[in-house]
Amino acid sequence: MIRQAAVWNLSWEQRRKLTGFLFVLPTVAFVTIFFIVPLGLTFFISLHDWPLFGDRAYIGFSNYSELAADRQYVKSLNFTFRYTLLITPPIFILGFILASLVRRKIRFVGIFRTIFFMPVVIGLGVSSLLWVWLLDDRVGIFNKILLDLNLVPKAQLFLGRPNTAMNVIILSVVWKTVGFTMILLLAGLQAISDELYESAEVDGAGYFKKLFYITLPLMRRTIALALVISVIGSVLAFDQFYIMTRGGPRNSTISIVYWIFNNSFTYFKMGYGAAMSIVLLGILVALTGAQLYILREKD
Amino acid sequence: MVETCGTRCYLNRMSKSKQEDNAMSFGRLTKLALLALLVIAALPLAAQDDQINMTMWVRTISFQTQALVDEWNANNDSQIELTVIPSGEFVTKMGAAIAAGEPPDIASIDLIYTPAFSSAGQLVDITEWVRALPYADDLTPAHMELGMYEGRNYAVPTAVDGSFIIYNVDLFEQAGLDPDNPPSTWGEMLDAMRAIDALGDDIYGYWYSLGCAGCNAFTFLPFIWASGGDVLSDDYSEATITSDPIVRESLEFYNAIWEEGLVPEGASIDNGSNFTNAFAGGNIGMAGTGNFSLSRYKNEFPDIHFDLFHIPGKDGGTASFGGGDVIAIPAGTEHAEEAWRFIEWTLTEGPQIDIYAANGQIPVRLSLADNEYSREDPRFVTSGSALSVGHTPYTVVYNDLFNDPNGPWLEMLQVGILDGDIDGALELGQERFTQIMEG
Repeated sequence: MIRQAAVWNLSWEQRRKLTGFLFVLPTVAFVTIFFIVPLGLTFFISLHDWPLFGDRAYIGFSNYSELAADRQYVKSLNFTFRYTLLITPPIFILGFILASLVRRKIRFVGIFRTIFFMPVVIGLGVSSLLWVWLLDDRVGIFNKILLDLNLVPKAQLFLGRPNTAMNVIILSVVWKTVGFTMILLLAGLQAISDELYESAEVDGAGYFKKLFYITLPLMRRTIALALVISVIGSVLAFDQFYIMTRGGPRNSTISIVYWIFNNSFTYFKMGYGAAMSIVLLGILVALTGAQLYILREKD
Repeated sequence: MVETCGTRCYLNRMSKSKQEDNAMSFGRLTKLALLALLVIAALPLAAQDDQINMTMWVRTISFQTQALVDEWNANNDSQIELTVIPSGEFVTKMGAAIAAGEPPDIASIDLIYTPAFSSAGQLVDITEWVRALPYADDLTPAHMELGMYEGRNYAVPTAVDGSFIIYNVDLFEQAGLDPDNPPSTWGEMLDAMRAIDALGDDIYGYWYSLGCAGCNAFTFLPFIWASGGDVLSDDYSEATITSDPIVRESLEFYNAIWEEGLVPEGASIDNGSNFTNAFAGGNIGMAGTGNFSLSRYKNEFPDIHFDLFHIPGKDGGTASFGGGDVIAIPAGTEHAEEAWRFIEWTLTEGPQIDIYAANGQIPVRLSLADNEYSREDPRFVTSGSALSVGHTPYTVVYNDLFNDPNGPWLEMLQVGILDGDIDGALELGQERFTQIMEG
């Protein structure tokens, strides 16, 4: 009764604020429990020598200062950025082409949308295993086709050489994720009114003028979202390298998350792994901020 | 007078009657549930008086642990619940369980991790119990060594395996080689590989999985040991990769196999998935393997006639990698004595013969390697005797050095064998081994 009275005694503005707070409370709780607290714990661990067994010891920022001397860490960062730079354009361009193809409501378009999107629902681990099998030198379909067409003299070890390994992994991930980018961009394309295109056509605009003066500018927010998601996904790449190459050949495909995993769960250097994770978070925040700044609406 | 009642009245009555029924049912159910709870709660109390319940963790390997536990449970008051943990997660889960104060009472651990556990004080000291065993000196030496830390015993062998070379008898005969006199030096092995390789385009002299770090620790290190060399110093304190000439020669030996095309090209990227499968294809002359694969070859590929020989040194001598699991009592258990009673029982002759040997597994006592079951198939005598020349590196960073697919061991092999850059491989191996060993 007292509580009820207390609520009813609030002013309209206060009650409105309280209602708003109650609406966001589940999200605040969720973010706190699953992001803020783990992030704080990760930072806490990163300040310690934290082995799996035995005693842990506070070592300040030593784990962070060790990073600069870790050649594999620098190599993995470089590899991850190169991978991100190489994979982002094909995902985006192919996603845009597919979105344009399935934009119109024509016959069977739903079937094509489903087919293009289908790989997205497969787990990345499963799709990586599938590609390992497809690329196998003895039973893989790719080698069978290449050999039958006399395009190669003998079966190729696609995952056995650094460059080809990178290329086929990019191919597999584009196949797996392009459907998601397509759906994002499709939503952006469908939000543009047909009247705008009709007016432009009346003014004599061709395909490219419509693309560069109507479609792309009006899709700026959607493009930003698609790029941010794609870049974050690529910087955090792990499964495909862990399953398809195990970081090989000659440790040439160890992404930064793979290196964090190795340090944390193979060498059991939890503190060092946590320090790398915090630095990676900083890098991701900077990258995402830069993308959003570049693609911001300029009024 | 009969009371008239319309539909609504009838439904009300029905509803009221149902509520009463429900109330009665609820009351009865509550009483029953309370009674059941009391009985359930009393059961463990009663059981606790005369029965010890223990937990045992084992990694996913094909040894006969389940058979051992079943036999124990059938004949003892204390009971063991066996939990199988995926091999790749075993160490992490054990570490987490110990840190949380809830370790299993017994653990079957990959022997290479034992120094890491014992040096961190995570295992119960069982020295006095081990010393009291009349057959302590008969237990496989490599496993006993790995189970020790600073002169104290922390584990004993439970599942042992040694590496050796398996060879295809039919291919040997087709190539004009004498299958009864298999190679005993590297030179003889190379000659045999060349002869077998010449039999056809799809036939190869040898198989190694050069994308698999652990497979090559198991099968390549013994080539070095059998020749008197090693990649670690005698006290395991430093790497001897550049200073020991045998390491260079062994890399040159494996590089020659690669350069001459005596192995399928796919071997260069095999991550171990074909470690045993490759030989089962019937077109491979020789391959390194262990006892774990023999039953499979025998039962699933009866058309492949195979035999075994110990891994030879450059000019003779033999060696083997002592692999498998040791059994230990994690620190923090309340049932250490009963856990030891189980462990001690597993080492006795009964289970060693009736469960281990009867199921094609090597007994952990050397004197029992030659038994009624192994005598039925002399190949099991060869595989069992490999452990008499068995060796395992003793280091708390074994995993980082040898087992990690991104570690220095595999990278050194790939650079030296596949790229042919022996100098570069040795430098790289020495530098990264030293870096890891110095922490």
